[in-house]
This record gives sequence, structure tokens and C-alpha cells, in this order.
Amino acid sequence: MSGIHHMLVHFPLGFWTLASLMILVGSFSNGRLAEISREAVLPVLVLSLLAAAITIASGFLVWPVEAALSSPLARNHILTALWSLGVFVMLTILVWRAGSNAFDGVRRLVLVVLALTGMSIFATTGTIGGHLVGATTEFSEVLKLFGWDVYNTFYVPIWVVALLVLIGLMCAVAGLLSRRSNSTT
Amino acid sequence: MERKNRAAWLVLGLPLALGLAWITHGNGVIQNDPDRNISIPDELTIPMQVQAAFNETHVYFRYRWPANRPHVLHDVLVYQDGEWIKKGGGMPGPNPEGFHEDRVAMMLDDGSVPGFSRYGGYIAIGAGVAGFTSEAPEEVTKSLPGTRIDVTDWASVKSPETLQAQRQAGYFLDLWHWRGHRSNPLNLSDDQWIGEKRGGDSGTSPYTTNWDKEANAPKWMFNPETTGQYALRLDEIPDAQVGPDSPYYLSDNTAVAFDPDHEWKNGDVIPRRYIRQTEGSRSDIKVQSKATWKDGYWDVTLYRQLDTGAPTEDKILENQGLYSAAFAIHRNATGGRWHLVSLPVSLGMGREADLQAVAFSGEQPEWGNNWKEVTLFYPGQVNWPLLISQAHAGAEDIEMGTPVQARHSERQLAIYGIEMEFNDEIISQWRLTLIAGLLTMFGLTIGLLSAFPTRSTRQKGERS
Repeated sequence: MSGIHHMLVHFPLGFWTLASLMILVGSFSNGRLAEISREAVLPVLVLSLLAAAITIASGFLVWPVEAALSSPLARNHILTALWSLGVFVMLTILVWRAGSNAFDGVRRLVLVVLALTGMSIFATTGTIGGHLVGATTEFSEVLKLFGWDVYNTFYVPIWVVALLVLIGLMCAVAGLLSRRSNSTT
Repeated sequence: MERKNRAAWLVLGLPLALGLAWITHGNGVIQNDPDRNISIPDELTIPMQVQAAFNETHVYFRYRWPANRPHVLHDVLVYQDGEWIKKGGGMPGPNPEGFHEDRVAMMLDDGSVPGFSRYGGYIAIGAGVAGFTSEAPEEVTKSLPGTRIDVTDWASVKSPETLQAQRQAGYFLDLWHWRGHRSNPLNLSDDQWIGEKRGGDSGTSPYTTNWDKEANAPKWMFNPETTGQYALRLDEIPDAQVGPDSPYYLSDNTAVAFDPDHEWKNGDVIPRRYIRQTEGSRSDIKVQSKATWKDGYWDVTLYRQLDTGAPTEDKILENQGLYSAAFAIHRNATGGRWHLVSLPVSLGMGREADLQAVAFSGEQPEWGNNWKEVTLFYPGQVNWPLLISQAHAGAEDIEMGTPVQARHSERQLAIYGIEMEFNDEIISQWRLTLIAGLLTMFGLTIGLLSAFPTRSTRQKGERS
């Protein structure tokens, strides 16, 4: 399954990279290319999610679960892969919901922030994948320079776990209040 | 700005959350825990330098490694209110009073132990080994996997006949073991082996215990005529540091029978070990010249006959032979498993290898600057049964014979060794981190929905 996973992983990475570039082009430029990017980003995002789901599933079959959970590198690979998926699920939902207007006004900045965040995370995922097969890159040295040696499992203290959940909760509440406020005005 | 657009700024919650995770990651789990035999050294990797040379009869190994200060005292007996109290000995991490000797050890094999040249000392760490959190109820020392019926069961030792046959076939590791207190004062090294356990070669060891159980007192004390003292004074040896010319060990030349009638004072210190001349096969390895500690480095040279005449206790070395070696040191008053170890290196006797022993003529080698640089690392709690189990992603690689160096660096192994000491806690915290990150994204998505209205909602909003 290892070989299959290596083959499959090109698809979500390709789609995610393409989608991110389309968001950047669609957000910061005008003309035909920007227009095409804005119109076509949704199918690319949808395809990326399908590809990611299959790839992640195949990744879980490479090693026994016990081995994957006991390996710091594999743990990091799983975490960043699922977080990458999470960010691109967000993008897909928002673009799907707003359609071509997803790029209007300040919304384009939302897409850009999410795309850049997603790119950073999936680049990290790929780098760790390289480590897992013995092909390391200098990108992990950059991560180390900024404070994370990828051989250490990425986890946060319990109070930060609580804070992360709280941030999510506050964002949800703020958004719901905003919606209610919009609908009553 | 429209109120609905304000919600768009909630997206900054994601970089905020991830940034917070980034700056706090790795905290909250790993910490020393003596109750679980956990003590992590400040430095996970250190450099060591090794040289080797041989003439027609002897082989020499020179070791050099950093140590802030020398620890040449081991466990001691301290007089306190009429009793002799033991201080020092093995414990998780450094002995707080400094009572634990420095050591250098070398495992040596001639290819008779499968896997040693690829995995080094890892193959000698069996189930239940002493010092692990899951240590067996009785002391289990290093051992080779082939000496057990079931490698996951430390007690399943094969029959004495099988062990004897293995020994005859060369299935054991030769262990050179220099001890800063328990051998070095007489320019000796301990000579041991690893088979079904870590044992000493036949003969007399370089030390014995200075304790008379019946009298509940030491057997020996310093000879005041040759050393000028009956005992050391605890307040004069802070961090167990003795002066360069101060007599600090008991031996034939420095000790006499203990005198219970002497007026002992609180704080008098007598070494708990008596250093003696080795005999038999155990006397093979000696210190060349004198082991020295200077400017923060130990410099120790050991030598031995190429052929000791004891092929079931020592690895016999020959010109043009190719062997494997792995090194370990204890420093900073640590003992037991809290040492720093190396990955295996190849040793070539006059032939190309990681460490090439240089042929020379004469009595003593003339060391140049042709050091072999070796990285020593803290191995944590990783044993052989784990490495060949389903819990190790590289178990298949081991089965195929891929050397450890092909997949792991020393630093990586040190980090993994530590994480393995907290494996359950880290998995739990990692899982929570993963879920918390996804929940943040979920909450953020809900929050952002108002900034990304559907067409019908937008039209309704526009009409209002």
C-alpha cells in the first residue's frame, strides 16, 4: 500500500496547489485568467477533497495503526494531513456557498488567508511524508529554524487545547450572532 | 463596512489558533519522573572521538569524550551518628551528590552476532531490562535476543546446553568496560561479555564490595600510614570531587582492615568498593599509561592482546579482520541505562572501515589526529522486542536487514527514545491537539458562513 499511497498523494497535492494558485490569481488580478480561476476553483476544490479522502485512507493502510500511532513522524504526518483537509473543506464550503461572489470584497481575503494556511500545512505534510520514506528536504530545516523539529510529535498542552476549542466556539457564536443581526436588519 | 463583512475577519482566528499551537507545542508532557525511572539528560547528543591501533600482539583503543568534571568516586559509606550509610549507586539520572563513577564501554563483535553490525546495542536491550519503566521484578541486564525462547519474555532463557553451544559458536558480544573508580585506579578495565546476560569474564573482577554484613560496618578503611587519612571528609569533596593527588580509593596499597575502635566522626567517608588486581580472563584489558581528565575531556586508552586465548569470552582479533564496535559512556554521575551510546561502526584491522585500526611496530602506538568522530546519543526506552514488533514502523526494514543508519540519525533516535518514554501520554495529547485543530476549523467555518451568504440570502439582505 505504501507505493499506492505515494502515487495517490500527488492528486490532492496537485489539486490543492492548483486551487490555491487559482484563489491567489482570482483574488489579486483581473482579466480572463482571473475570471476563469474564480469560476473553476470550486470543481478543483471538490476534486481535491475526493482525492484527499482516498489518499488519506490509503495512508492509514501503509502501516499497522499501532505503528503509525507510535511513530512521531507518522503522527505528525496524520495531523498535518487531516488539518490540510480541514482547511480545504472550509474553502470548499465557503466557495460552494457563495458561488462566484466568494471573491467579492473582503471575502477574497478570507480565501487568501485560508489558501496560504492550507498551502503551508500541506507542504509540511509532504515534507514529513518525505522523511517517512527517507527522502528529507530543506523545508524541514526551515520548520526547525522556526521552532519545530519534525521528529518531535506536534502536540500542545491541555490549556491550549481548550483555548483552540474556545477560539472555534467564539468564532461560531460571533458568526451566528452576525447572521441573526443581518437577518433582522 | 457592512456588518456581514465584519464576520470575514473571523478568518484570522485560524492563524491565531495555529500560531498559538506553534509556540506552545511540545510542552506539558515530557518531564523527569523518577518514580517511572525517567530522567532525560540536558544534552541528547555529544561527540566522541576514537582511535585504534595494533601491533603483532596487542590492540589499542583510545577514547576521548567531553565531561564537565571527572567522577572518580563511586558509591561510598558515610558515617552518621554511629552508622555507616550508603550513598551513591544507580538511580534515574545523575546522582545528586555526584557519587557515581564515569565509564566508557565498548561492545565488540566479529560477525557472529546477527544484527549487531546493523543495530548495535539495540539488539542487547531485551524485555524487562533494568531501568526501564516496565523493568522486570528482578534485575535483568543486557542480553542477546537469541538467548530467549520468546524475546518478549525476559524469563524465557534457553537451556544451559543451548547457551553453551551458542557461546562456543561465538554468539556473544565482547564488552570492554572501563570504570572510573572500580577499575581505573589500578590502571585496569573490566572485561565482560553479553550473552544471556551481561557477565564478567572468568577470573577475578577489579573490585569487591567493602561491607561486612555481620559487623554492619566496612571491611576496610584508608591506611593512615600510606594515605595520611582514615577516611575522606564529606564536606571536603563537594560533588564527589577529589583533588588530583588525594587518595580516594581502597586497594592493597591504600587500605587496611577497618578499625571499629577508631573515633569516627560524622561526615567521614569510606569508599564502598575495594579495588584489586584482576586475574584470569577478566584481567585481559588494561589502561595504557594513565587515563586523564583535562580541560573538560576524558582521554582513556585501553589495550589487550589480539588473541587472549579465551575465544568464548573475548572476540579474537586478527590483522585484516573486519569487526563491529559500539561505544557508550556514563558521565555526570549517571549510572544504569542513563548513558549515552553510539550506533555501530565497522572496525578494520589494518583495512578500510569506519574505524581503521592502524598497524604499527613497537611497544606503543603513536597517535596522530586520525580520530573517528562518533556521535553518542541518549537512547531512551527502546528495546529490541519493540523494534521488531508491529508497533515499530521499521520492523519490516529490520527484517530485511536495513541498517539503522539508513533510516535514523542519532538525534532522531534520541528524540524517539524520549518520546517512547511518554508514548501513551503523547498519543493522547496529540489526539486532543488534532481534534482541537479540527474543531477550531469547524467553529470558524460556521462563523464565516454569514460572510459568505448564498445567493438567495444575499438578495434578501440587499432588499433589506
